[in-house]
Amino acid sequence: MSDTMADVREYARGTARRPLLALGVLLVLAVPFLAPSQADLATEALIFGLFAISVDVALGYAGLLTLAPAAFFGVGSYTVAKFVVDYDLSFWLGFPAAVILAVLLAVAVGYIPIKRRIGHVYFVLFTLAFGAIMHDFTFVTTWLTGGSDGLGFFSPPSVFGIDLGGQMEYYYFSLALVALVGFGIYRLIKSDYGDVLHATRQNQLRMRYLGYDTDRELMIAWVLSAAVSAFAGAIYVGSVGIASPSDISFALTGDVIIWIIVGGTGTLLGPFAAAVGLLFTQELLQNLWQGGYRLLLGLLFVVFVFTLPDGLMGFVRDDE
Amino acid sequence: MYEIPLITADNFITYALNGVSRGMIIFLVASGLSLIFGLIGLINFAHGAMLALGGYGTYIVIQATGNFWLGLVVSVALVTVLGFVLERKLLYWIYDEPLLGFLGTFGIGLVIEEALAVYFGSRSYTVPSPLPESVQILGVSYPSYRLFVIAVGAVVALGVGLLLAKTRLGLEIHATANMQPTAEILGVDTARIYTITFVLGTALAALAGALTAPITSMYPTIGLDYITMAFLVIIVGGMGSFKGSFVVSMIVGQIIAFGWLLLAPTYVRIVIFAAAMVFILYKPRGFFGKPEVHE
Repeated sequence: MSDTMADVREYARGTARRPLLALGVLLVLAVPFLAPSQADLATEALIFGLFAISVDVALGYAGLLTLAPAAFFGVGSYTVAKFVVDYDLSFWLGFPAAVILAVLLAVAVGYIPIKRRIGHVYFVLFTLAFGAIMHDFTFVTTWLTGGSDGLGFFSPPSVFGIDLGGQMEYYYFSLALVALVGFGIYRLIKSDYGDVLHATRQNQLRMRYLGYDTDRELMIAWVLSAAVSAFAGAIYVGSVGIASPSDISFALTGDVIIWIIVGGTGTLLGPFAAAVGLLFTQELLQNLWQGGYRLLLGLLFVVFVFTLPDGLMGFVRDDE
Repeated sequence: MYEIPLITADNFITYALNGVSRGMIIFLVASGLSLIFGLIGLINFAHGAMLALGGYGTYIVIQATGNFWLGLVVSVALVTVLGFVLERKLLYWIYDEPLLGFLGTFGIGLVIEEALAVYFGSRSYTVPSPLPESVQILGVSYPSYRLFVIAVGAVVALGVGLLLAKTRLGLEIHATANMQPTAEILGVDTARIYTITFVLGTALAALAGALTAPITSMYPTIGLDYITMAFLVIIVGGMGSFKGSFVVSMIVGQIIAFGWLLLAPTYVRIVIFAAAMVFILYKPRGFFGKPEVHE
């Protein structure tokens, strides 16, 4: 049994790797033609995939257990929506603004806890409080965020004669951005910095003795994760056309954590694939059993946590 | 802008009592969390779901029998049994892995909340107050049910406080929290202590859920609001400190009760959360925390 599994794994890693990768790329490129009605969903899946990757950089690679990823995603979506809807500025200007804002916020929130090395448990609770504040904040600052109505609606602009308001156009636009940023993260994780991050998560003290400034390395991962989350949020708001409090809610944080755990922490493809797969599963189930999806998702998650600790070991190892 | 209402002596007493009853509910939630965290080191994210179950259980029994008191007892008993089963069958295996514990309880909480959402829908439910009349107290007319909540909270605080401070069981709980292997060698059945503590904490959450049902409306994710607040209470009070959770719950109750005179309620929440963040950074042991507490 396990031999066959090992064979399959070996096969997928070795001879079949390139063909499988090519097949995956082809599939992703062909989605709007295979299922034109699902292009919106596919766009959303890509964006949430990128979001899951970005959170995994902090959670899986750096070992920073954050409960506030949705806060940064929301900053991204709200910034772009604010620029377009309220300030009448360019959609494009919203992207750098969203990323800069997320970086500033990440530094402001993360600097002291990372510097003071407050430990996993306190980091979880610290980010939980931060996430709750951000969510509450969206509801009370109606003048800034539109309260529970959110900020909307708008359509992304045309560029070079291509109207990004179209489903298919926006899909390829998102695909290009997600692929670009995803590849950037991949290169970074494969670089020496990725190794340093791995080692820091596993034995921070030892890395410090070896002369690494681990606080700085973790800080970079934290800020990078926030920036990419906000970037994903910015792409997302272009697709749905409205920034709403659900972009910043604890429910979204829960979803992204589930994607990462199910996909496997400390991998890039895992969370991405899990996000895409689970989003499509949700769509399929929606018609069969309204409302039951999240129950099944929760059960799936529990099963993973309790029966597949191997997939979770990377996550757990650093605590010892 | 937000109007600042005038406050009279009568209002003052009413708000203060509201604050006490609110604080008692928060205390019931926070003390359960704090017990579980202080002893087992488990960040129990399923705690909020237990609270929701306590509330919905009460609702079901009231629908069936019309008796709130029966509902209170039955739902707390059932959730206690559920807590026992969960602890023995699932959570027991992951105590050595705090991060798995956090994820596992998060998942269990999600399953329970979603099951409630599937069964009841996401609309909110209310339960009629079992003690609709008001009584005269300190010169104001005040709902007797809220006084009942205050009394229950006080009795539980006293009872569990005495249990921890004066009994053999309390001693064993402290010993296990302090140094589990040593306690085990000295003859304490630590596995049993873990179970008792978890079940006691869960029962407190269910009690809070059942008691809060006639005061606030229930919805499947009601627990999340409470545990976010409760987590911050136990940080400020000191992780694992029973006294700390009580004192800080009372303070938070008063802040919520009077805070809205100055600020919109959501801002009051934000202020409390922000204060807790500062505590996490600069005084992680809170007011009453002891160095023995699991981190």
